[in-house]
Amino acid sequence: MAEVRLEKVVKRYGKIEVVHGIDLEIAHNEFVVLVGPSGCGKSTTLRMIAGLEDASDGAITIGDRVVNELPPRARNISMVFQSYALYPHMTVRDNLGFGLKIAGQDEALIKKSVDAAAEILGLEPYMDRLPANLSGGQRQRVAMGRAIVRDPDVFLFDEPLSNLDAKLRGQMRVEIKKLHQRVKTTVIYVTHDQVEAMTLADRIVIMRDGYIEQIGTPTEVFERPVNTFVAGFIGSPPMNQLDAVVRGGKAVLSDGVEVPLGPDHKVSEGQAIILGFRPESFAPKGHSLHGEANALAIERTVNIAEPLGTETILFADLGGLEVQGKMLNPRVVKEGETLGFTLDLSKLHVFDKASGRSVSA
Amino acid sequence: MSQLTIEKPWQRWSIRFGVFVAMAILTIPGLWVVLTAFRPNIEVLARPAVWIPQNPTLDNFARLFGLSSEQQGLPVAQYFINSLVISITSTLVAVAIGMAGGYAFARFRFPGKGGLFLAFMLSRTVPGVALSLPLFIIWARLGLIDTSFGLILVYLAVNIPFTIWLTDGFFRQIPVDLSEAAQIDGCTRWQAFWKVEFPLARSGLASAAIFAFLTSWNEYALASQLTRTTASKTMPVGLMDFTAQFTVDWTGMSAMAVLIIIPALVLTFVVQKHLIAGLTFGGVK
Amino acid sequence: MPHDKGRNRIGAFMRSPAATPYLLLLPAALVILSVVLLPLLVSFWTSFTSYNLTRPATLFNFIGLRNYQRLMGNTDFWWAFGRTIIFITIALNLEMLLGLGLALLVNKITWGQRTLRTIMMFPMMFSPILVGFQFKYVFNDSIGLVNNALFDLGLIKQPIAWLVDGNLANFSIIFAEIWMSTSIFAILLLAGLMALPKEPIEAARVDGCNPLQVFRHITLPFLMPFVYIAMTIRSLDVARAYDMVRIMTNGGPAGRTELIWTLMTRTGYQNSQMGMANAMGYVSIILSIVFTFYFYKKLVSARTFMGGAQ
Repeated sequence: MAEVRLEKVVKRYGKIEVVHGIDLEIAHNEFVVLVGPSGCGKSTTLRMIAGLEDASDGAITIGDRVVNELPPRARNISMVFQSYALYPHMTVRDNLGFGLKIAGQDEALIKKSVDAAAEILGLEPYMDRLPANLSGGQRQRVAMGRAIVRDPDVFLFDEPLSNLDAKLRGQMRVEIKKLHQRVKTTVIYVTHDQVEAMTLADRIVIMRDGYIEQIGTPTEVFERPVNTFVAGFIGSPPMNQLDAVVRGGKAVLSDGVEVPLGPDHKVSEGQAIILGFRPESFAPKGHSLHGEANALAIERTVNIAEPLGTETILFADLGGLEVQGKMLNPRVVKEGETLGFTLDLSKLHVFDKASGRSVSA
Repeated sequence: MSQLTIEKPWQRWSIRFGVFVAMAILTIPGLWVVLTAFRPNIEVLARPAVWIPQNPTLDNFARLFGLSSEQQGLPVAQYFINSLVISITSTLVAVAIGMAGGYAFARFRFPGKGGLFLAFMLSRTVPGVALSLPLFIIWARLGLIDTSFGLILVYLAVNIPFTIWLTDGFFRQIPVDLSEAAQIDGCTRWQAFWKVEFPLARSGLASAAIFAFLTSWNEYALASQLTRTTASKTMPVGLMDFTAQFTVDWTGMSAMAVLIIIPALVLTFVVQKHLIAGLTFGGVK
Repeated sequence: MPHDKGRNRIGAFMRSPAATPYLLLLPAALVILSVVLLPLLVSFWTSFTSYNLTRPATLFNFIGLRNYQRLMGNTDFWWAFGRTIIFITIALNLEMLLGLGLALLVNKITWGQRTLRTIMMFPMMFSPILVGFQFKYVFNDSIGLVNNALFDLGLIKQPIAWLVDGNLANFSIIFAEIWMSTSIFAILLLAGLMALPKEPIEAARVDGCNPLQVFRHITLPFLMPFVYIAMTIRSLDVARAYDMVRIMTNGGPAGRTELIWTLMTRTGYQNSQMGMANAMGYVSIILSIVFTFYFYKKLVSARTFMGGAQ
């Protein structure tokens, strides 16, 4: 059983504070992904949990122990590094068994655990190779195997897929998910890739500049981003965000288009807001995701069309910016063609312009 | 490079000729000395010159070790042993101490780091001759003149800075991740070093050891002032003795020269790949 | 008990993780302090005394700057000093040029390059005293290799006194020095040439550079860090030339090859004027530091300059 709890955890390098007192509770067996742009403090946070960096302040608890003063080896964790950090001078077998050997386990037991992990990850054919003779995907697997073998309380992943090509990354993502279903353990996973975060996480922790911006399930952070940063970070292509002013219950864009706001949005007359909507909510008539019962019709000229097969991304000018729309069941669209778009009014996100915070319910 | 420019035959031949001349200049003087080591003295003095040894002999070596009756031998065997003991001991200790220092510079951030590193490097620039003067005064007072220990201590100081420089470079090449992974795998920092980082730095340490050994083995300026008798005299000092003790015994000196070069030669060939790596390391990356 | 408190604080620091790097460096620092720094302090002191080896009491006979004053007025010293600088300058420059030439040549040869590299390393393992002996022999007027060859080729009738004539003796020691140290440049520059990235060269050729321009604008700037590494390593060791000159000419004939290092030992040990010798020692130390520091600076800036391109 291992919950992980961070209380007011701070990291300072000299006078520079990079993590500003974050609080986070992770339940047993939960898969939590820390995500954010580079420099947001996610890796530092992970390394503090691992014990590779000292927390400057606050408390880190794993299970029922405060681990701040414990060295990494005493925390019963394992970690998969971005570089994999395989020991180049040891065979795959020795890499996998290293932790158990250090712990002084007997040979037969080590062999059993190593073989079991190798079977899970399909590493049996490579057991006597050195890391240098493995492909990227195989190295990644060995790194995960090394983590599994030790049967830790907490698994830490530090951007484990970022050295793989796109196709392999997709495969490994699925494998990591399967692995978690199989070896039920608490997982803390760091990535800068929001797709990885959405697909893998039970809960996502979105960080920026050493602060936690939002914690929630993938659905929550996607459907109800608390601020413009989260709104822009989660989802691909990103949410369209347009400056607007509230007039008579409508959001008036800079090009004069008026978008009616429902009662869910707490706005006041004359308030400067940012109106957000995802490309899925802006589609040509007859090609939208959610139907067009509660939609605003807007006619626009398509600047560029990017056909992706099952959908086409359309670029058009709206509210002084170029916005993206998504056309499902696409037909061929020519650049310069004028289309009747529908904007789904039930999927609007409204943010206060001054604070960037969401005012939608 | 070779594919980039199309060479004409005359260019190719002039390149080969140039390389041939350069290699000849690099090898012939040494070869001349080696040949002389196996010549009888008459052949050296002969007019016109005898190029290929006509009567190869091992007499010169026998003479060095006092095995020949015609002349009192120099205590070359003792010099050789002194040189080995002093060089090997100072090399092993210097590598151990230097490795600790190099590791500190490669892996830790601490106040005064840059200044300390510079100080170590500057200590290496002090010419041996200049250092020998005050060392002679101090060693005389401490009774360290003409002891192997005294010379070993001096060679430690000569070799440590360069060892630090090299090992710093080698440890930097080893990703920090590996030591961290080992610590998460249950190692203490100390275990992580010995089980992961040390084995990976081994070839680098070997090259540092070769440099240290060659420096100690070949050193003359300090040894010539700090040694007096067979108790601690090394081979280079012994070679210089020849000019003092006899008029000039070219064949004997050549034989001794061969004895000096052989261990260095063997060692260098064994690890020559690492030598180049070692030299370029600290500098480039 | 403020004293105890201080000791406790030191004890606490020693057990803290912050102390680790200092503890690791402690043995190295102790050795350098006792074998280099302490002697340097002693020699600094003696350079202000009239210390004479034969009269130990003179170690405490403080005479202020008189050694340095006498040094300033000593023509022998200035000749040795100037000759040393010229010697270093000529040797380093020629070694660099010859080393570059050799590296370029060997780099063009594909077959047997490993063997050539091994041969190039040859002089690096020679003890300087051995190099000195070797060339003392090679340049010997009656039985030396050079004169033997010139005789047999019929080029000379009288032996050339390589080590007895002042100018020729200087030529001989510079030749020996270059023989000993060109390899370092050649090997490092060869390593540099082999590490040379292909793309910039190909880009330059596509941009219309001829081979000479490619060399001038791409290859040479890339090689500069390697040149400076070699220069730094070399300038650390310039005083090795002492061993060589000691056995070849020992400053002779008539002081015509006297370098600051040979003059220093003669003054200190043969004439027993340790105070004076240590004053010279300080001049030589500063000389070495200046050379090394200069090239090290160049190395650091060349490296950061290259950093952008890599």
